[in-house]
Amino acid sequence: MSELLVVEDLQKHFPVTRGIFFQKEVAQVKAVDGVSFTLEAGQTLGVVGESGCGKSTMARCIARLLEPTGGKITFDGRDITHLDRGDMRAIRRDMMMVFQDPYASLNARMRVGSIVGEPLEVHGIGNDSDRKRRVQELLEIVGLNPEHYNRFPHEFSGGQRQRIGIARALAINPKLIICDEPVSALDVSVQAQILNLLKDLQQDFDLTYIFIAHDLNVVRHVSDRVMVMYVGKPVEEGSKEEVYTEPKHPYTGALLSAVPIADPTLGRERRQIVLEGDVPSPLNPPAACRFHPRCPRFVDGKCNVDEPLLTPAEGANDHDFACHFPLERWPLDEDGFRRLPTATAASPE
Amino acid sequence: MAILEVTDLQTRFRTDDGIVKAVSGVSFALDRGQTLGVVGESGSGKSVTFLTIMGLLDPRHAQVTGSVRFDGQEILGAGNSLLRKVRGKRIGMIFQDPMTSLNPVKSIGWQLEEAVMLHNDVTRAEARRRSVEALQEVEIPRAEARIDDYPHQFSGGMRQRVMIAMALINKPEIIIADEPTTALDVTTQAQILRLMGQLQEEHDAAIVMITHDLGVVAELANDVLVMYGGRVVEEAKVDDLFAQPEMPYTWGLLGSLPRLEVITARLEQIPGQPPSLLHPPQGCAFNPRCAYAFDRCREELPELRQAMRGADHHFRCHLEDEDRARIWDAKKAAFTSAEEPAA
Repeated sequence: MSELLVVEDLQKHFPVTRGIFFQKEVAQVKAVDGVSFTLEAGQTLGVVGESGCGKSTMARCIARLLEPTGGKITFDGRDITHLDRGDMRAIRRDMMMVFQDPYASLNARMRVGSIVGEPLEVHGIGNDSDRKRRVQELLEIVGLNPEHYNRFPHEFSGGQRQRIGIARALAINPKLIICDEPVSALDVSVQAQILNLLKDLQQDFDLTYIFIAHDLNVVRHVSDRVMVMYVGKPVEEGSKEEVYTEPKHPYTGALLSAVPIADPTLGRERRQIVLEGDVPSPLNPPAACRFHPRCPRFVDGKCNVDEPLLTPAEGANDHDFACHFPLERWPLDEDGFRRLPTATAASPE
Repeated sequence: MAILEVTDLQTRFRTDDGIVKAVSGVSFALDRGQTLGVVGESGSGKSVTFLTIMGLLDPRHAQVTGSVRFDGQEILGAGNSLLRKVRGKRIGMIFQDPMTSLNPVKSIGWQLEEAVMLHNDVTRAEARRRSVEALQEVEIPRAEARIDDYPHQFSGGMRQRVMIAMALINKPEIIIADEPTTALDVTTQAQILRLMGQLQEEHDAAIVMITHDLGVVAELANDVLVMYGGRVVEEAKVDDLFAQPEMPYTWGLLGSLPRLEVITARLEQIPGQPPSLLHPPQGCAFNPRCAYAFDRCREELPELRQAMRGADHHFRCHLEDEDRARIWDAKKAAFTSAEEPAA
C-alpha cells in the first residue's frame, strides 16, 4: 500500500497579542505542538481527544485552511506545507472536508444543486448540463432524492443535511476526506445511517479518511488506526485493535473507561476511572508530560520534569505511546490505575 | 407513593399549517429516589412532555389536557403563583445547553443567590453562603473565589456543573435533566453523571434523565420510557429493556449504537426519518420505517400492552409474541457472533 499522507512534527501556534497599534506578541497558544503520523491510501485514521486538544486545528492545518507554524505535510508524494494558493487549489481537488454542524456549514441561501456543484464549478469541470447530471448522480449516491436539486438546506433534516455535505465532498472524486465530528450533532439512528454511508463510500470510491470525533465508540467503529491527542500532542497512536484492547497511556485508559456502556449488566461490572478537573489551557500547558496534573499514576520528580516521548510498545508492531509508567493490564481490575510495584522501583533512572 | 404521576398527557400546538400533536397520551409515575430515563429521537416529544409538565409552554399556542399530580397535588393548568413555588424549589431543571441557559451579564454568584432568595426568606449573606456550598458540592475548585466569575470564564463542563448546582440549591424532590451531558466530552460526562448519582443518594431525589444516549440510560436509570412520535412505545425496568426489548423501534435504537464491547462490520440502521407530527402516519407511527410492518400496523394504532416477561414492561406492537421473541433472539445472536475474542 502507498502512503497518501505523511505528517511530520506539525505545529500550529496562535499568537496572543496586546496593544492596538503594535500588536506586541505576549504569548503563544500552542494548539498543535508536534503531531506526526502516516496514513496509507484506503485507510481511516481516527483522532480522539477532549475539546480543546487541537484535533480540529490539526485537520485544518492539513487541509491548509490554517497556515502551519512548523513541520511538514506530504500529500500524495508532494510537500504541500508551503504551497501558495494557486498550487494549493489543484491539491484541494484531492482533499475535501466534511464539517460537524450540518446546520452551519451549508449556505442557507444556496440551493442544494449549487452547494453540491460548487466544487465542480470552482475547478472548472464540465459545462452546466454535465454538472447538473453529476450533482443528481451524487445526490443519489448519498441517498437523497435527485429531484430535490432545487431545494434549500432548511427543507432538509439534520441527517439529510450531513448527506448534502458528504455529496459536496465527493463531487470531484477526492482521495482524502477529512471528517471533523461528522456525526456528533445527530441522533443515534441517523448517526448509524451516516456511518454506514461513509463506510460504503470508502469501499466504492477507494477513499482515505481522517475521522475526528470525541465519541470513542464511533471512532472504533470506523477507524483502522487511532490517534489519541491531549493538549496539542499525540499521547498514543496505533492500530485500532491494539489501542482499544491494550491501551498503554493512562489518558487513553481513562477515556475508554468513561464511555457509557449500553448494557446495564456489563456497565455495573466494569471499573471506571473518573478523571478530575478539566483539560489544561494550551496557553500555559503543564511542564513535561501535559497529563501529569490529572494523572492517577503521577510520579513527582519524573512526570513533571522529564517529558515522555512517543515510543513503541513492547511486543506490538504498530502501537506507540508517550508515558513513563504505562498501564500494565487492561481491562482495569480492582486496583484501578495503581502502578505495579516494579514500575515504581524502576522510576528513578 | 409516587412523587410525580402523569396521566394521559396531551400537548398540541396550533400552527399555520395545522395542529401538531407533539404529545399524545403519555402516562407514567415516578417514585422518590428513582431515576427515569426518557429516550427517543429529536421530535419524539420527550422534551415537550416535560416542558408541559412544568407548565413552561405558552398557553396561547399550546393546548394541554390530561393530569399531572405532583406529591398528590394537581399542577397541570395551575396558576403561576403555585407553579412558581414548585419550579426551582421542589422541582429543579437542568437544560442541555449551559452556554445559553446562564445569563452572560450576571456573575455566577448573583444567579445562584437569586435562585435561593426567590424561594427562601434569607439575607443575601446567607444566600451567598449557600451558593458557595452548592458550588463546592458540585466540585468547583476554589468556589469562594470563582463565585464572582461570569459564565464565559468557566469551561463547558464547569458551566454544566453550575447549572446542576443551581438546580439543586433548594434541595428539590425531582430533578429534570434534559440532555445534561450531550454537549460534553466523555470524561466530563462521567464526572457529571457520577455527581448526579451522589447527589441523588444524599437528597433522595427523583431524577428524570431525558437523552438519546442509551449508554447514559443504561448507567443511570432504573426505569426507561422509549418515546416515538409523541407516544410512549415501550416502558420497562432498565435490565428488562436491554435484555428483552419488545418493540421494533427499540431494537433499531439498540442496533444503531456503535459499542466498545461488540464490534460489528456494519451498524443496523433505522431507515428513513422520524414521523411528521403534523401529518402522523395512519396506524402505528413507526410503521413506515419498520421492517416487520404488516397491514394491521398501517391501519390500527397498537395499544400499550403488557409484555410476557418483566412486571412493569409495556410496549406497543401488533406482532405476535412468538414472532417478536424469534426476531429479537436472532438479532441478539447477530450482536454476539460479531464479537471479537479480545476486549
